[in-house]
Amino acid sequence: MAHSAPSRKRPATLGTVAVLLIVAIIGALWVPIYARSTPKLGPFPFFYWYQLILVPVVAVLSWICFLLLKTRPTPDAGPGDGGGAQK
Amino acid sequence: MNHLNAVTFVILVTSFLIVTLIGFASARWRPAEDPMQLTEWGLGGRGFGTFISWFLLGGDLYTAYTFIAVPALVYATGAAGFYALSYTIMVFPIVFIFAPRLWSVARVRGYVTLGEFVRGRHGSQGLGLAVMVTGILATMPYIALQLVGIESVLTVTGIGSTSGNVLVRDLPLIIAFGVLSAYTFLAGLRAPALIAFVKDILIYVTVIVAILYIPGRIGGWAHIFSVASTHFKTVNPATGKPFGSIVVLPAGEWAYASLALGSALALFVYPHAVTGVFAAKRRDVIRRNLAMLPAYSLILGLIALFGYMARAVPAVNAGVKAGGGNSQLSVPLLFARMFPSWFAGIADSAIVIGALVPAAIMSIAAANLFTRNIYKELLKPDATPAQETRVARLASLFMKVGALGFALALNKTFSINLQLLGGIWILQTLPATVLSLYTRWFHRFALIAGWAVAMAYGTVQAYRTPGGGQAHFGASAAPVFGHVIYIAVAALVLNLVVSAVLTLVFRKVGLQDGYDETRPADYTADPVPVPTAAAKTRTPAIPPR
Repeated sequence: MAHSAPSRKRPATLGTVAVLLIVAIIGALWVPIYARSTPKLGPFPFFYWYQLILVPVVAVLSWICFLLLKTRPTPDAGPGDGGGAQK
Repeated sequence: MNHLNAVTFVILVTSFLIVTLIGFASARWRPAEDPMQLTEWGLGGRGFGTFISWFLLGGDLYTAYTFIAVPALVYATGAAGFYALSYTIMVFPIVFIFAPRLWSVARVRGYVTLGEFVRGRHGSQGLGLAVMVTGILATMPYIALQLVGIESVLTVTGIGSTSGNVLVRDLPLIIAFGVLSAYTFLAGLRAPALIAFVKDILIYVTVIVAILYIPGRIGGWAHIFSVASTHFKTVNPATGKPFGSIVVLPAGEWAYASLALGSALALFVYPHAVTGVFAAKRRDVIRRNLAMLPAYSLILGLIALFGYMARAVPAVNAGVKAGGGNSQLSVPLLFARMFPSWFAGIADSAIVIGALVPAAIMSIAAANLFTRNIYKELLKPDATPAQETRVARLASLFMKVGALGFALALNKTFSINLQLLGGIWILQTLPATVLSLYTRWFHRFALIAGWAVAMAYGTVQAYRTPGGGQAHFGASAAPVFGHVIYIAVAALVLNLVVSAVLTLVFRKVGLQDGYDETRPADYTADPVPVPTAAAKTRTPAIPPR
């Protein structure tokens, strides 16, 4: 079975990824940050809109981590590999 | 109490039939050269790209738990039920860290289950068995939760008859489950992977319509929150305390955070989630998916708000009361009272199909575990791939029968407790599985001991916790050192302490360590896939071992 070379990422990249992921996790784990009802966003208490907004924020952070860690597919795999629907 | 609505019923049955057809047809989807390989039946040929993996993992993770159990908890207790949103926010960053390593080592070594990885990593059959047994044990109540979800929809639509005979009352449920078992048996993981498309379309449509349509009909969000706030402030005569709160109180913060963290850590050691990861085609597919899966978290957050909407509809409250205070009826009742009957049929289909897909994946995952860790390991080491596949098919049937028993026998007031109970057990495999992706510092026997102690502690603690009118297994959070926390997390800490201390002791007395068959490079490898996707240009598959 053909193996691509294990990717060795620079420590700075790995550090950035670690920080981003930890920020994402702490944002949800540290309940006292958001266990409050004000400021409200329209009728929504802070507790609700904070968590709902945190979802896309975490998605963006994870996407940045994905791009930072992305390995180049081996040349013969073709440019469209790994993308959309495989049918 | 609930009259059968003909339109809702016809739509529900039609979508069930469509899904059944897709299930049987999926056996011919992306046909395998040799369908009697376990990686074909049990992992869909390990060939799923980003698109399918996203639906499959989503179909895996968002289940009757999301549609029935979470809003039921919000309906009954308020903000405390939102721990599920916090859990699904943090789960993807956590999994982002370790899932690629797990995928790589499994691909290189041909592992189909976590039990095989643990056996290979630690050279310990016993530890592999412990992981397998825990996986099956924890999956049972999770499948049962899916059945409870389907049952609550059937109750509200009036399909389940009110007969006192269990067999007659639950006949529709048994039929639905029997059909599911048949196409899972035939098509393996391909069936839920294809049905997941239908499921997700139904769910997204239902949730978006509900969020846009219902609040306007019942007086807007301000009214919804004010009704909830007033209700949760009133004192529950049974406990002498308020029913709940719409913002987590300081006393509940530990429970909230530990339930979220414990559930997040547990999710990707569940066999069905591992199956979803292993079925991916490339290493990058997993990371890309973990960045995209939060779309499901957003949906979960919106569904949790259904609990408050239901609270604001008097007809729903009356219906829940008439159903014996079963808050799991709140979402199906909300649909029945708020939507025209044709759309209620679509929404109910979303819940039912949303429960069938994960039930199929879970039973396949458990069957894989049994096949690789008991049958191949202990009973018949020289089994051919075809024999493995046959055994796995049968095991998936047994799994479903077991779960059916679980669901019919258990108290269903708080089905979320079934999932939390599973979480207590499955989390105890974390040191042997996830930590072992990084280190072999722990001694294999110390890991077994830590697992055993924590399993015993967690089970006893859960047994001793009353709640929901039950004396035992009533809740999953209990006081530890002055804070009410999720038992799974307390047990995990105990697990780690025992494993660490015994590791030091065993090293001191020179107890022999196991042989590690994996190599450091295995964990970062990204093997180029065999071109399975283009079936026409297929080359003979390289056997995984």
